[in-house]
Amino acid sequence: MDHNTIALLMFSTMLLMMLTGQRVFGAIGFVAVAAALMLWGPGGTDMGFSAVMKLMKWTPLLTLPMFVFMGYVMSESRLADDLYRMFHVWFGPVPGGLAIGTILLMVMISVMNGLSVAGMAIGATIALPELMRRGYDKLMISGVIQAGSSLGILIPPSVVLVLFSLIARQPVSNLWLAGAVPGLLMATLFILYILIRTKLNPALAPPMSEEELASVSRAEKFRLLRAGLLPVFIFVAMMVPFLNGWASLTEASVIGALAAVLAAIVKRRFTREVFETATRQTLAITVMFMLIITAALSFGAVFDGLGAGRAINNFFLNRLGLEPWQILVLMQVSFLVMGMFLDDTAMLVIVAPVYVSLAKTLGFDLIWYGVLYTITCQIAYLTPPFGYNLFLMKAMAPPEFTLPVIYRSVAPFVLLMLLTLILVMIFPELALWLPREVLGR
Amino acid sequence: MPGWCHAYVRFVEGMNRRVGRFAMYLLYVIMAILLWSSVTKIMHVPALWTLEMAQFTLVAYYMLGAPYSFQLGTNVRMDLFYARFTTKGQAMWDVFTVFVLMFYLGVMLWGAFDSTVYSFSVNERNPTAWRPPLWPIKSIITISFALMLLQAGVHLIRDIATVRGEKI
Amino acid sequence: QSTIKWRLQTYAGPALAEEVVKPAIDAFNAIANGQMEIELYTSDQLVPTSELFRAMQNGTIDAVQSDDDSMASPTEVTVFGGYFPFALRYSLDVPALFNTWGLDEIWKEEYAKVGIKHISAGSWDPCNFNMKEPVNSLADLNGKRVFTFPTAGRFLAQFGVVPVTLPWEDVEVALQTGELDGLAWSGITEDYTSGWSKVAPYFLVNNISGAWIGHFFANMDRWNEIPPHLQQLMTTCFEQSHYRRQWWYWAGEAKLRVEGPDMKLTSLPDEDYAKLEEAAHKFWDEIAAESPLKAKVVEIIRKYNDTMVKAGAPYRYS
Ligand code: NA
Ligand code: NA
Repeated sequence: MDHNTIALLMFSTMLLMMLTGQRVFGAIGFVAVAAALMLWGPGGTDMGFSAVMKLMKWTPLLTLPMFVFMGYVMSESRLADDLYRMFHVWFGPVPGGLAIGTILLMVMISVMNGLSVAGMAIGATIALPELMRRGYDKLMISGVIQAGSSLGILIPPSVVLVLFSLIARQPVSNLWLAGAVPGLLMATLFILYILIRTKLNPALAPPMSEEELASVSRAEKFRLLRAGLLPVFIFVAMMVPFLNGWASLTEASVIGALAAVLAAIVKRRFTREVFETATRQTLAITVMFMLIITAALSFGAVFDGLGAGRAINNFFLNRLGLEPWQILVLMQVSFLVMGMFLDDTAMLVIVAPVYVSLAKTLGFDLIWYGVLYTITCQIAYLTPPFGYNLFLMKAMAPPEFTLPVIYRSVAPFVLLMLLTLILVMIFPELALWLPREVLGR
Repeated sequence: MPGWCHAYVRFVEGMNRRVGRFAMYLLYVIMAILLWSSVTKIMHVPALWTLEMAQFTLVAYYMLGAPYSFQLGTNVRMDLFYARFTTKGQAMWDVFTVFVLMFYLGVMLWGAFDSTVYSFSVNERNPTAWRPPLWPIKSIITISFALMLLQAGVHLIRDIATVRGEKI
Repeated sequence: QSTIKWRLQTYAGPALAEEVVKPAIDAFNAIANGQMEIELYTSDQLVPTSELFRAMQNGTIDAVQSDDDSMASPTEVTVFGGYFPFALRYSLDVPALFNTWGLDEIWKEEYAKVGIKHISAGSWDPCNFNMKEPVNSLADLNGKRVFTFPTAGRFLAQFGVVPVTLPWEDVEVALQTGELDGLAWSGITEDYTSGWSKVAPYFLVNNISGAWIGHFFANMDRWNEIPPHLQQLMTTCFEQSHYRRQWWYWAGEAKLRVEGPDMKLTSLPDEDYAKLEEAAHKFWDEIAAESPLKAKVVEIIRKYNDTMVKAGAPYRYS
């Protein structure tokens, strides 16, 4: 069988297997080991298992359970309640203020965890009921929460960038710092959008009423400002030991997780139930990630070893006869299309090795490419039919948030994300400036 | 369903639940190891063993926890079509597709077992300054895949029961 | 007749592989003219480096380029792979020891016992320190946290060096944050290619080994299956690869010391360097005591070095 046939066969079989509705890792792993058994030759049986050992050596993975745990401690102990109240009273009087406050809340939550799921949980439990009560437009609510929480993977710390660092062999700290400015830029675009929309149609996002505003005393308003210290405290607790060399990145992530626990204990919210749920859910999410990564790593190695990786490389570099920039755009577009259908972790581990080596051959900066990739993942979370945030929204929101509502609500935000993606592509400095300033890269 | 099916399901699920609940707390062991590592660094006597021990513990954590996560039903499926089936329809469909999962787990178990036997036979060590033997972690991985396979068996039995209109 | 296909995985990452192995593979494939094709894979691409030996033994990988230590080889000679302290002064010592002084037969025999064809050994760069703070005496090494190879770490511990094991990709950041004080990992060429020259800018010119030993290996059954003329071609191309690396590193090491923009050179006083060398000879005795075969290799290394000293310049200047 020639390389192109193998590439096509493995890829299409995998898509088909995933559509069976069997667990994603089982579907990917099955194609990997079956292809290895049939086509590899002697020793093919070991290709599945060796991924487990490969994974063991990837140290930054130790941060994964820590950042997942941090997110659960925060959402389960309702640590973000005060934070939300703060934005609520300070931004409430402005038209669209609560939606803007929700975006800012999501930025703060993003600073304290590495996934988008914590933001979704906090958004759906704390922000959503308030926004509903204020008579905000359903499309606006659903869009703001889903788009805002996806910032969790772009604004450091980011689990997606940890995974990318493993594939691209780039330092995680540089990648994280590179995500910060584009993340804030994206949040700013969201806020501008909300401002413009509410200016045009104030009924979408009515401001807080006079009497309700009067009911919050000046002292209370300033007391609430203190809530804003929480993310600062957690961020400083993580970054100071790291930047002083007392702790590696993985060790710093433990300190961050413990800082979240400490904050919950101080607020008397670290109950037995919070402990149990956070511990159990962290295991569940970590296992889910690890099993998918293991299966996808095997798939990637078998795909590569059977020459299929070369076939794709050859296709992009030689057959198409395009400029590097055109190839880059093509890769992003294909990523976006795949993001509509594929699980993003699987997409990373299977497709990224090929694309990363392509980007490198074409002479692009891999730190910058990591940021482009992460924005693409954010978009993938929101694009129908498959998207993490879409599913989470359906599961967490009240029934009047029907699938069509949820699907439609993300459209403007996906466009804003695409705009950010294009801006970062045109101005790489947006991503590369901060890591160079801080780490002298 | 025959009695042995009930016994099998009860036994395997009980065992995997206990193993998984144990593994769940390894999260705090990882935290303790990495904190200790940081402490020794601040005291300028960095420990040699902490990073590798944390890696081993992470593997034990998610491997031994995996069968329990099957029970919790937290492994994602692409359920575009699947979600539209009735419960019975899903069970009927799963009776076939679970063999895909079992095949994968079986091959993984095979590879893990081979590698464990090898690590015993040459007393394989991690190529680092600490040089810990690798058979303990490889044995844990092998056992984990065996437990995952047994748990997949539980799902098969349960789906067959659902198809027959019974409940286990 | 169909093309014989092999998979060869090197321990080197993509950037380094471009220099140290790819030219030889390209040459082999060109001359083999469709009769055989070797596909090159870089570090961890198919299997993790620590599983390389086992994968080759099983036939998962057909051939490997690595030192004995990195691929976790289970043989008696593993301790001499990588950097065995003070065994070598110049990179030419490696082919001399293997081809004239008998190490080649020992390696071939030891690897044949475990189902592996040892094709040939070649030299790489020396083992120098590159540090965040200047090192001007042995005492300056005391308490320094240094990223290094297992055997070198075992040897350096007696001078107060704290060997630290980290994944290779994390080293740069660990240097930036102060988690590491430096490295005893490579020569100056790799310090520059890896970006370490910027974050740990002091280069100690005194090395603890003049060259690293790397080998080409193949699965024995696969090797025996290919016709003799292709075996010969592979041997020749790999020999050529050793030669290319020899001048690439030799030129790079000297040029970057003089013209490199990032690093400042420091050196140890002669009496301190002599102390290191003396300690290395004691370390040899410790290793020799572990088994008759190790004793035999140590003996060859010892005799070789004695001869070089007696021969005088240009073999030894001190
Ligand atoms: Na984040
Ligand atoms: Na999607």
